[in-house]
Amino acid sequence: MHNPRPGLPEFDYVRPASLSEASRFLAEHQGEARPFMGGTDTFVRMRDGFWKEKYIVDVKRLDGMGDITFDPSTGLTIGAAVNMNRVIDSPEVQEHYPLLAEAAKTVASFQLRSRATIVGNICNASPAGDTIGACIVMGGVLKVHGLDGEREVPLTGFFVGPGKTVLKPGDIVTAIRFPVLPQGHAGRYIKLGRNALSDLAIVGVTAFAYPDDTPSGYRFKLALASVAPVPLVPEKAEEILTGKPITDETIAEAAQAAMDACNPIDDVRGSARYRKYMVRNLTRRAVTDVLNRLQ
Amino acid sequence: MALAEQTKIPNPIGESMPRIDVFEKVTGAAVYTDDIQFGPQLLYARVKRSPHPHALIKKIDVSKARALPGVKVVVTGDDFPGHIGLYLKDKHIFARDRVRFVGEPVAAVAAISEEIAEKALDLIEVEYEPLEPVLDPVYGASPEAPLVHPDLGEYEVVNFIFPKPGTNISNHFKIRKGDVEAAWPKCAAIVERTYHIPHVQHVPIEPHVAVAKVDETGEVTLWASSQSPFAQRNLIAKTLGISQSDMRVIAPYVGGGFGCKAGVTMEAIPVAIAQKAKGRPVKLRLTREEEFYTNFVRQGLVIKLKVGCDKDGNLLAMENTMYWDGGASTEYGVNITRAGGYSSTGPFDIPNVKTDSMCVYTNHPIGGAYRGFGMSELHAGIGQVMDELAEKIGMDKVEFLKRNVVQGGDILGTGMKMHPTGIKECIDKVAEALDWGKKAEPSAPNKLRGKGIAVMWKAPAMPPNAGSSAVIELNEDGTLTVNIGGQEIGQGTFTAMAQLAAGVMGVPMDWVRIAGPIDTQYSPYEWQTVASRLTWSMGNAVVAAARDARQQVLKVVAEAWDEDPDDLDIVNGTVVSYKSEREMSLKDIGIYGINKEGDTGWIGGPIVGRGNFMPTYVTGLDPETGQGNRAVVHYTTGAQGFEIEIDKDTGRLEIIRAASAFDVGKAINPDLVRAQIEGGFVQGMSSAIFEEMKLVGGEMKNPSFVDYRIATAADIPPEHKTFIVEVPQDDGPFGARGIGEHPMVPSIAALGNAIYDAISVRLDPPFTSEKIYLAMLDAGLVE
Repeated sequence: MHNPRPGLPEFDYVRPASLSEASRFLAEHQGEARPFMGGTDTFVRMRDGFWKEKYIVDVKRLDGMGDITFDPSTGLTIGAAVNMNRVIDSPEVQEHYPLLAEAAKTVASFQLRSRATIVGNICNASPAGDTIGACIVMGGVLKVHGLDGEREVPLTGFFVGPGKTVLKPGDIVTAIRFPVLPQGHAGRYIKLGRNALSDLAIVGVTAFAYPDDTPSGYRFKLALASVAPVPLVPEKAEEILTGKPITDETIAEAAQAAMDACNPIDDVRGSARYRKYMVRNLTRRAVTDVLNRLQ
Repeated sequence: MALAEQTKIPNPIGESMPRIDVFEKVTGAAVYTDDIQFGPQLLYARVKRSPHPHALIKKIDVSKARALPGVKVVVTGDDFPGHIGLYLKDKHIFARDRVRFVGEPVAAVAAISEEIAEKALDLIEVEYEPLEPVLDPVYGASPEAPLVHPDLGEYEVVNFIFPKPGTNISNHFKIRKGDVEAAWPKCAAIVERTYHIPHVQHVPIEPHVAVAKVDETGEVTLWASSQSPFAQRNLIAKTLGISQSDMRVIAPYVGGGFGCKAGVTMEAIPVAIAQKAKGRPVKLRLTREEEFYTNFVRQGLVIKLKVGCDKDGNLLAMENTMYWDGGASTEYGVNITRAGGYSSTGPFDIPNVKTDSMCVYTNHPIGGAYRGFGMSELHAGIGQVMDELAEKIGMDKVEFLKRNVVQGGDILGTGMKMHPTGIKECIDKVAEALDWGKKAEPSAPNKLRGKGIAVMWKAPAMPPNAGSSAVIELNEDGTLTVNIGGQEIGQGTFTAMAQLAAGVMGVPMDWVRIAGPIDTQYSPYEWQTVASRLTWSMGNAVVAAARDARQQVLKVVAEAWDEDPDDLDIVNGTVVSYKSEREMSLKDIGIYGINKEGDTGWIGGPIVGRGNFMPTYVTGLDPETGQGNRAVVHYTTGAQGFEIEIDKDTGRLEIIRAASAFDVGKAINPDLVRAQIEGGFVQGMSSAIFEEMKLVGGEMKNPSFVDYRIATAADIPPEHKTFIVEVPQDDGPFGARGIGEHPMVPSIAALGNAIYDAISVRLDPPFTSEKIYLAMLDAGLVE
C-alpha cells in the first residue's frame, strides 16, 4: 500500500530576485531544492511522497520567463513560465509551429494547462511527456542559466532516464528556442490514452516532415512517447522515410522499424506487447497524416 | 382505495418539475459534512492501516504515539471488542488479533492537528505474522483454502443468510427448480461460459467524512456524509453497547454515494475515538487513496453459466454458479449474493433452474453496496450467454429475448408469481432506436461495426420488512413541511417527495419544504437510502402522510362549515366546497384552527399528518431450494442497446449511439427519471469499458484517478435515447417503481454483445482498447 494518506510535506517557498541568485541557491541546496514553474508535477510528486525537497524555488516571475517572442529570422522563444494554454492560443505558434499547439492540446485538461508549461514538461523528463516529441522534432534548444551564466542545451541527449536530465545543480531552464522551420513543413501528434480526455499517453507518436532534396522528397523526423526510459527517436524509421520513395510499403517498413526500436515496459497502464503494436500502427497513421498535410 | 387504482393523478405528480435543491447546489450554498465548522476543540483523526492482506497481529505498541505532544487519543482493537455488520456481524471497528485486507484499520489517533496525528501514526509499532492470503473466490470456496474467518459459526446473522462454518462461504443461496439434468438432453442448443467481473470502485466526488462527539452523559452525535443515518445509528450503537436513542446521526447533503455511504464503513471510527475524547469533536476525512484502498468495493464475481433452449428458441434450463469475491468481511455483501441468487435467471422465464450463489471470504477489500447490488455483474454473464444462445439456435437476438423474457403471471425461479411488466415494450423501443436488423457500414475502412442489446431486472434488495415513515406539518403560511428520513444523494428524491406531497395535499409545488438535513433526532425513520427504494417505499409513506394531513384539514373545515368532508377538496392551497362553493386558504387553517361562528370556540389545531409503509408480504425462501411465495416486493425491468465501432489500429471502442428503456411503473418526475437513466448509463458504460481495481497480492495497484480511469464528459456518446415505459406497480405510489440503479445493470452485457457483433470475440470486462486489440490480434482479425 503506497502512502494511503498523502499530503504535502513542510517546505520553504523561496522566490529569488534574480536568476543568478536562484542558480546559487539551487546549487547550494543541491538535492533539497527544486525550481518550479506550474507545479503540476512538482506538487503531485511531493504530495505523493516521491520528492522530499525542503525548498521550492519559484523562478516564474524572473526576467523573460513569461514571454513568447517570435522573430521571422531567428524563430520562436517560449519562456519557461509560459503556460500551455498561452502556447496553444499564440497566433505565432498556430501559424509557424502548429505541431506544438496540437501536442499541447492533448496534455491533461484545460484547467491543468493553465498551469502546466512546455519547459516544465521537458524538465520533468517523463517518457510520457506529450510536448517533448514536438520539441525534439522541431529542433528545440533549451536556454539554461547556470552557475557559469547562460548556455544553450539541445534536446538531443538531454534526457538521461525517467525524470533524469543532463541539467546540473544550479541550472534553471529559462526558455525553449525553436529555429525557423523549413518551408512547407507539417507535423502530427497522436496520443493514445485509455479514455478520451486527460489521460497520460500510453503511447504517443510525433511525426514531422518538410520537403527536401532526398530520395523520398522529404526529411522526416519522429519521436515516440511512453515506450522507452526516455523520449525515443527511432532513427532507422526516419531514415527509411527519408531515403526511399514514399509508398504504402515504405510507410509500413518505417512503422515496423519504429516498433522494433522501442523498448516499452509492462505497467499498470498497458502491456509492452500492446505498446509495441501501437507504436507501429500509430506511426503509420501519423506519417500518413503528415503526408496528407504536406500535400 | 388502492393507490394504483386512483385514476386521476394530481399535479404536479408526473410533471418534470425543477429540482428543489438546484439553487443551493448550483450556487455552492448547499452544506456538506466537511463544510460544518466545529471550532477550536476539534480533533483530527488518522487511521493506522494494515499493509498485509492476511496476517496475525502479534503486538501493537502505541506508547510512543501516546507520548507525542498534541495527541489526545490513541485507540486499537483492544478497546472495541464488539462486532459490527448489517446482515452478518463479522467485522470489528479495528482489527483484533488478525488483519484481513490491505488497508484494514488497526489503530487510530486523534490529535490537535492533522500533521501531529500523521506523525503519531508513524510512532505506532505493529508486529505482524503474515499468513497465506486468499486472493481468488473459487480457490477460497475450496476445502484447501486457509480460513479467513475461523469463527464464522459464532457470528450473529439474520435468518435469510446461510453461512457455512468451517469454510470461507459466508452465504450459500440455492435455487432448485424443476430438473436441469433431465432438461439438458431436450435442448437443441446449449451454451456454457465463465465470466470474470473485476472489482470496481464507486469514486464519489466527495470522499467519506464523519465527525463524532460524545458528551459527558455519553450521548453520541455523528455528522456524516451518509446514505444511511438510521442504519448507522442502529449498527454503531449496538456495537458500542449504547442505546439507539442515545445516538444521533446528522446527515447533510451527500456528494455522491452510489452505495458506498450505505451501511457502516469508516463512520464508526470517529465515534469510537470520540468516546475517549472527553467531549471534543473528532473528525475523520478519507483521502482519495483511502477511498480506493479501504472503501466498500463492488465485489468481483466469477460466474459459470450453462443455458439451453429447444429448437424454437424456448429456454429450457439454466445452471448458474456464482463465486462472489466478498472480501475480508461480508457483513453487507452476503445480501448481494442473496440478491444475485434470487434474481439469478435474469428477466427470463426458465422452467428448470439450478443456482448456487456463494459469498466467499477473501483477503480483498470489503464488498458492499454498489449501484446495481450484484445485478450488473450477474447480467454481464447472463446477457451475453443469452446472446450467444440466440445465435446458436439461429434466431434474431431481439426475437429470442422477446420470446423468453418474463411476463406478468410467470412463475419465477423462486416460485414467486411475476407482476405485470413492460419489458417487451422496453426491448422494442431500444431495438427501434438502433434500427435493429439493419447492418450499417463502418464509417472508415479501419473500423468494425456492431450492435448489441441486453435486458435486465432488479428488485429492491433489502430485509423483507424495511420500513419508511413520513410526517407532514402545516405551517402558518399554508406551506407543508415534509419530514422524511431518506437522503438526497443527487438522485432527486427530495423533489419527487415534494411532488407527491404537493399533489396529494392539493397545494402548489413551491408550498412544500423538505425538512433537512436528515437528523435521526427529528426525522422520521427510514431504513436506508439504497436499493432504488425511496420513490416507492418512502413515496408510499409520504403519500400516506399527505392523505392523513389532507383528511384532517377537510374534517376541520367540514365541521366549521357544517358540510360533508366528501364534498370538499383542496385545490391550489385552498379548501373548496363543491356544494356550497365556499373557500378557505390553508393559511387560515393549518396552525390556529378555525374560529366557530360567533366566536363560540375553536375547531382543529396544528395539522400533523403521519404515514408509514412497510412491505408485509415478502416471505422466507427454503434454504435448500430457494422456493417461497414471494421472494421480493417487485422487479423493475428494462433494456439497453449500443451501436459501436472498433478501431482496428488501436482497439478503441467508440459508441456511435445508444438507447435505454426502463419500466418505472409511473415516472413521478420524468426529467429526473431520464437523468437517472443517463447517469446510470454513463456509469455503466464507464465500468464496462474503463474501470477495474487492479489487485495484485491483495493490494490495489491503481489507487488514483491517474490509473483508475472513469468516463468523462468527452467519453459520452453523441446519441443516447431514453425511453420511459409505465406499467403501473400495484404497491407503488401512483404505480411508481425505482430506477436509481437499473440503468447501469445491462451495460456490460449490451456492450459485450455489440463487441461480439463487431469482432466475434467474447471478453471479460473492462473492454479496454488494449484488451480488444490484443483479442483481435490473437483471433487473426488484425496483423
